[in-house]
Amino acid sequence: MWTPLADTLLQLVESMVAPAGTGLTVTEAYLEIPLEVQSAMKNGEVVFYGIPPHSRWKAGVLPEVHMSRMRIELTGEA
Amino acid sequence: MVGDGGFLVEEFINAITSQLDRVQDSLRVKAVNRPLTYALKDLTLELKVFVDMDAQGNVRFRTSGPNESGSSVVHLGFTTITKPMIEENTISLATTRSASLEDLGLGPEDRQKLERVGVRNLAQLNRLGSSTGVQTIARLSDVSFDRLKQAIAMGRPQVHAVQPEPPPKPRPIPQAPPKAGPVFTPSRGPVFSPQQPPVIRVAPGVTKLNLRGANLMGEDGPASVRLNNRLLAVSEADNDQLAVHLPEQFESGALEVSLPDGNKVTYELSVMDGDQWAPNGDMS
Repeated sequence: MWTPLADTLLQLVESMVAPAGTGLTVTEAYLEIPLEVQSAMKNGEVVFYGIPPHSRWKAGVLPEVHMSRMRIELTGEA
Repeated sequence: MVGDGGFLVEEFINAITSQLDRVQDSLRVKAVNRPLTYALKDLTLELKVFVDMDAQGNVRFRTSGPNESGSSVVHLGFTTITKPMIEENTISLATTRSASLEDLGLGPEDRQKLERVGVRNLAQLNRLGSSTGVQTIARLSDVSFDRLKQAIAMGRPQVHAVQPEPPPKPRPIPQAPPKAGPVFTPSRGPVFSPQQPPVIRVAPGVTKLNLRGANLMGEDGPASVRLNNRLLAVSEADNDQLAVHLPEQFESGALEVSLPDGNKVTYELSVMDGDQWAPNGDMS
């Protein structure tokens, strides 16, 4: 099941939350995440899909894994 | 897309950018109801792709599939930039609204040759032409000189019509009185009439003038319109039409349209007195 890259990135950003009640705040996070990516036409537009790897093991039948690096920052209190 | 699933590099990058925009928009929306706001500042992707070139000479990327070896690695870095940075690093919106090369009658091959020297529309063609000369563009792009001259001529700014908004009611055609007696028609000798600018009749309550034409958007913005040397504010501007506001108390006088290529078109704006358009031509 391929998921648009945006949805995967949002899930990753959402995951950068300190456990409730600890009083901690994540101010910055740097992630290195392997992703399986795919691009396809949808409604006449190219859509870029990106999901975490199916497995930690390498197999010829699994999609290629691409490395992604991202920096997430706390930009201010709303 | 080509048969093997490859995409143009531009489409490929746009697809990723579009996904990143969605991330930022979603985070911004979520921030409305949340005490903390996060942003994705940077994203780097090391993409394993196969790079191909199609028959038209366009480079295409195809992401590597299962068990494929020999792929290239493309490092793409995305970062958030501010509005001033966007303005500094991109062409103006006015430029993008200029007539496309297709509108100028150039075929796909000529368009591609011009795009390779950074010309994607009329405004860019004119700018390069004015700095280096059309001959140089022809030599660099390998598009024939005559073809370029023809395209530039086709893209010359023109005003086809100027109409007040709301437009005046059509003037009733007066009935000719019945002829009484013989009519003497003097023979017409040579008449000298200096070329008069076209007259635009405008009722006193009119607030806007609509100009219709072609290539009215230049690189520095739309054509400008002056009434009695007073610049009129533009309310709407597009490549084929322009709307300008008339001042509250405007008077008859010269209406000058300065086109993006530097040429000027002059009209005579005539403010109608009283109710000229009353039935039976009653001017009272």
